[in-house]
Amino acid sequence: MYRWEFSPVIANADLLAAGLLNTLKVAGAALVLGVALGLVLALLRLSPRAVASWPAGFVIEVFRTTPPLVQLFWFYFALPLLVGVEMTAYMACVTTFSIQSAAFFAEVFRAGIQSVERGQWEAARAIGMTRNQMLGRIVLPQAIKRMIPAFVERAIELTKTTTLVATISYADLLFAANEVSQKSFRPLETFTAVALVYFAIIYVASLVARRIELRLAKSGESTVH
Amino acid sequence: MRWDFGSVLANSDALLVGAIGTVRIFAICLVLGLSLGLIVGFGRYAHNRWLYIPATAFVEFFRNTPVLVQILWFYFALPILMPFAVSPLAAAALGISLNSAAFSAEIYRAGIQSIERGQWDGAKALGMDWWQAMMRIILPQAIKRMVPALTNRAIEIFKMSTLASTVAYVELLQQGKLIASLNFNPIEAYTAVAVIFFVILWPFVQASYALERRLRRDE
Repeated sequence: MYRWEFSPVIANADLLAAGLLNTLKVAGAALVLGVALGLVLALLRLSPRAVASWPAGFVIEVFRTTPPLVQLFWFYFALPLLVGVEMTAYMACVTTFSIQSAAFFAEVFRAGIQSVERGQWEAARAIGMTRNQMLGRIVLPQAIKRMIPAFVERAIELTKTTTLVATISYADLLFAANEVSQKSFRPLETFTAVALVYFAIIYVASLVARRIELRLAKSGESTVH
Repeated sequence: MRWDFGSVLANSDALLVGAIGTVRIFAICLVLGLSLGLIVGFGRYAHNRWLYIPATAFVEFFRNTPVLVQILWFYFALPILMPFAVSPLAAAALGISLNSAAFSAEIYRAGIQSIERGQWDGAKALGMDWWQAMMRIILPQAIKRMVPALTNRAIEIFKMSTLASTVAYVELLQQGKLIASLNFNPIEAYTAVAVIFFVILWPFVQASYALERRLRRDE
């Protein structure tokens, strides 16, 4: 019978904590950029002009349809050669996951905006608002409330996806786990501990998401079915 | 910068080997994930505590941890507990299948729960037992509602298959890496891999959108 021994993992807790911090850093940066870019993409896609809606639709489809790991490798190994800039692992991660999550956030925004009844637009136009005013003052404030559950769900997905950064040697929690397991010859304990850390964080986030969803479902406003 | 796909085309046999590897792991994970998910989904739906609690724990654990962590756990940690070696294919297939089982279990459960009580009552009134009602009345209707979500899952599994490259399983991305490092052409090699995935998956993604729209119209 194998004897579990967690003390080498605990002895390296500082390495793992630094990794966790980097995980949160990448996830946070990609989340902020992804939401902002996602809103832009959604507005472009909903635009009546084909010059705007086609390219936006193309970006959204490409990033939703190709595997995130392929995107990450492309941004890390191919893009720097194409445009002639140095790309650190951190920059590649944030770029990839921002655009990738933006493609998904764009669809959340689009569903939310489209869920607002036509009458709201018409009423806003009737009192003389421009398209931007209608969006900013009438439609988005109502839409955003309905999008919250889908948002939180996407943010959780994003956090899970950030583990891919370990493959290009960015020192996130998973990468730190790999190092610690090689140093301590305790892969079983290290990977189990790290899996539990991820579980704890993501599970709490999921519970919060479910709470919000229930509450919104009660007031009859949700885009999650 | 001049693009030169010649060096990628010269290695198209390597990409073909990779494509076969991708399709193989996809097929394994699709079958294992969706069928195991059905069993877990039944467990989640059961009133018996001894079925419900383990099924729920399974679903929560595998839905709330990153799939790459699961794959690496099966590859590096599991062999220590087991008396045998775990191959890259086995580790990746285990991680992706169990993860997909957890997600598809929730699809099955939601599908079954979406069927109105009246259908159960009607089946019971005809003298059917639980199993007959489930197989003849509930599941056939529920499966129709699950198809779009299950199609999405299948697409996700196909994308997840690239994670197998992290444990050196030979699939498309792994072969792309190989070609890039042998020919110093990462731009063309990774672009080619991305395009291959897009071309394969795009029709399925479009089909899933169409299915969703159709279902919304039908109900």
